[in-house]
Amino acid sequence: MGAYRADEDYDYLFKVVLIGDSGVGKSNLLSRFTRNEFSLESKSTIGVEFATRSIHVDDKVVKAQIWDTAGQERYRAITSAYYRGAVGALLVYDVTRHVTFENVERWLKELRDHTDSNIVIMLVGNKADLRHLRAVTTEDAKAFAERENTFFMETSALESLNVENAFTEVLTQIYRVVSRKALEVGDDPAALPKGQTINVGDDVSAMKKVGCCSA
Amino acid sequence: MLKGRFKLPDKARRVFPLGSLIAGLDDKGEDESGGYDLVFQSGEELEFIQPNGAEVAKESDYEFQCEFDDDFGINDKMMDKEDAKAPKRSLKDGPGQVSVMEVIAADEKRSDLEHELLLGYLSPSRDLWEKELTGNRQKYAKLKEELLCSPSEVNRVNDDALNSDELNVEGDVAGPLKRHGVSHEDHPLSVGKSSAWHQYFQHTEIADQIDRDLQRTHPNIKFFSGDSSFSRKNRDAMRNILLLFAKLNPAIRYVQGMNEANAEADSFSCFVRLLSDSVDHFCQQLDNSPVGILSTLSRLMDLLKANDEELWWHLESTTKVKPQFYAFRWITLLLTQEFKFQSILRIWDLLLSNPSGVQDMLLRICCAMLLCVKSRLLSGDFVANLRLLQHYPDINIKHLLQVAQDLSPDTVSCPLSL
Repeated sequence: MGAYRADEDYDYLFKVVLIGDSGVGKSNLLSRFTRNEFSLESKSTIGVEFATRSIHVDDKVVKAQIWDTAGQERYRAITSAYYRGAVGALLVYDVTRHVTFENVERWLKELRDHTDSNIVIMLVGNKADLRHLRAVTTEDAKAFAERENTFFMETSALESLNVENAFTEVLTQIYRVVSRKALEVGDDPAALPKGQTINVGDDVSAMKKVGCCSA
Repeated sequence: MLKGRFKLPDKARRVFPLGSLIAGLDDKGEDESGGYDLVFQSGEELEFIQPNGAEVAKESDYEFQCEFDDDFGINDKMMDKEDAKAPKRSLKDGPGQVSVMEVIAADEKRSDLEHELLLGYLSPSRDLWEKELTGNRQKYAKLKEELLCSPSEVNRVNDDALNSDELNVEGDVAGPLKRHGVSHEDHPLSVGKSSAWHQYFQHTEIADQIDRDLQRTHPNIKFFSGDSSFSRKNRDAMRNILLLFAKLNPAIRYVQGMNEANAEADSFSCFVRLLSDSVDHFCQQLDNSPVGILSTLSRLMDLLKANDEELWWHLESTTKVKPQFYAFRWITLLLTQEFKFQSILRIWDLLLSNPSGVQDMLLRICCAMLLCVKSRLLSGDFVANLRLLQHYPDINIKHLLQVAQDLSPDTVSCPLSL
C-alpha cells in the first residue's frame, strides 16, 4: 500500500458509491461532506469523480473513499465498473422529481447485481429544502426503504441538512458489520452466520490497516 | 450569441498565430464587407446552419415529424426555479468580468471562423462563403421549422396558410378560431409509435435533461450562465442545436457532456462535423467495439507504454489508476473540462488542424498530459494520482502541446487506422 503521511493514517478504509439519476445532487452531497462546499451551478459528472474523508467511529479512524458516479443512463455500462469493492452506497433521488424516486428500484437492482449482498445501502431523498416543490412524500420513501431493507434519510446539500448524518450512518454501519465479522471470525470461525459477512476480498475496501511489519 | 454585441478588436486577429495560416483571413480581413464579415453577422432566426443536408435528410426521412416547439414551458419552469434560488447564489460578478468577456468574445470570433474552416464547413475559397452560408442557413431554418415545433403548431401553420388564401377572397380578418381535426390514430393521448404526438412527448425527457445541463454548462462564463437575456438567448440556441442533433441521431440522442463540446450557438454544423469524429464514444452499444470508448482508452495506454514504459507500469500495475477513472472524461469531452477557457481554445486549434484527425491528436495530448506530471505521478499512490488526474493542474499549455506533437508518430497512427 506504500507509505502514508500522518494525516492519512486510518484504521479502516471503506469504499462508498454515490448513485442515482442525473441531477439529483450526488456531487453536491459529496462536496458538502468532504469539503463543506455547495454550488448551484456545478457541472454534470462525466464518468466518475472521487473524494475522501476520515471520521471517527468509537476510537477508530474510518476513512471513506467516496466515488461519485454519472447519473445518466448512457454512462451506466461504464460506471458499473466503479462499483467493484464497494461496501456502502448512498442511493440518491430528488424529492422534487418523482421520476427519480421511481428509478430507485432500477438503481437498487444494478447495485445488487454488481456488489456484495451485504453492502450497506442508504436511500437518500435530497433537496429537502425545496419544501414547496416536494413530489415524493417522506412516508412513501420510508415504506420503500423498509420493504427493501435499506436505511433512509432526507437531506439538503444546500442547507447542509443531514448530509453529515447520512454519510456517518453508512460508515458506522459498515464498521459494525466489519468489526462484528472480525470478532466472530476471531471467536469461532465455524459459527459464522451465513449471509452476515462482508466479502473483504482482495480489494482496498473494508481493509483493516495492519502495522508495517506484520503485513 | 456574441454576434453584434462585441466588436472584434483589429489587433485580436493578429495576436493569434493560427489566424495568419488561414487563407484570406489576414490579407483581406480589414475589408469588413467581404465574406469574413458575413460569418459574424446573422439574423435572429437564420443564425443556425445545416451542414450536411443530404446525410441528415437521409436519417430524418423515416420518422421525424414535428415534435417540439420553442415555448415548451420547460425553460420557463427552469427559470422560475432558478429565480427562487437566486438570493442564495453567491455573487461572482466582479470588476474583472468585462475584460474577460472581451477576451472571450474576440477569441471566440476568431475561433468561430477558424473552426468553421478547419471543420470543412466553409470551403477554402473565400468567394464562395456568402453563397454557402446563405444556402446552409436556409436549409437549417427549414430543418428547424420541421423538427422543432409541436403537432398543434404544425396544424396552426397549415391552417394559417389556408386561411390566408381565404382572406384574399373574403377579406374577413376577425373570424372565430378554427377547430383542428384530430384523427383517430394521432392525438395527444395516442401511444402508437408513429404518432407525432407520441414522439413529441417521448422527447420531453431529452429536452428536460438538456435544460438541466444547460443550467450548468461552463457556469463560470457569463456567455452561458446567469439570468440575463443574453445568456438565456445563448442557452436557447444551444438547446435547439442539441435537440435537433438528438432527433436527427436517434441511436445516440443526447448524452451528457455534449453541452460542453457545443460551446457556440452558431455551430450546429460544426458540432455535427466535430461529433462525426468522436460520436462513437457517446454510443453505449459501441463501448466494447474497436471504435468505442473502451478501446480508445486502451489505445491511450498503448501510446503511453510506447513512449514511457516506467510511467505506464506505475499507473497500470503499481497504483492501478485505470484510464476509465480519469481519461474517460478527457476524451469524451475533448478536454473541455480540464483546462481554462483560453487553454481549451489553444488545444482545439491543434485538435482541429491535425491532418490525421481529431482523435489522433486528442490521444497524443492525453498522453502528453500524463507525461507532463510524470514525477508527481511516480511519487503518488492511488488516491493522490487519481486526485491529480481528475483535477489536472494548471501547467504550461504550450509545452504540453509541444510534447503531444513530439510523441513518436508511428505508435499513434498505426492503431488509429482501424
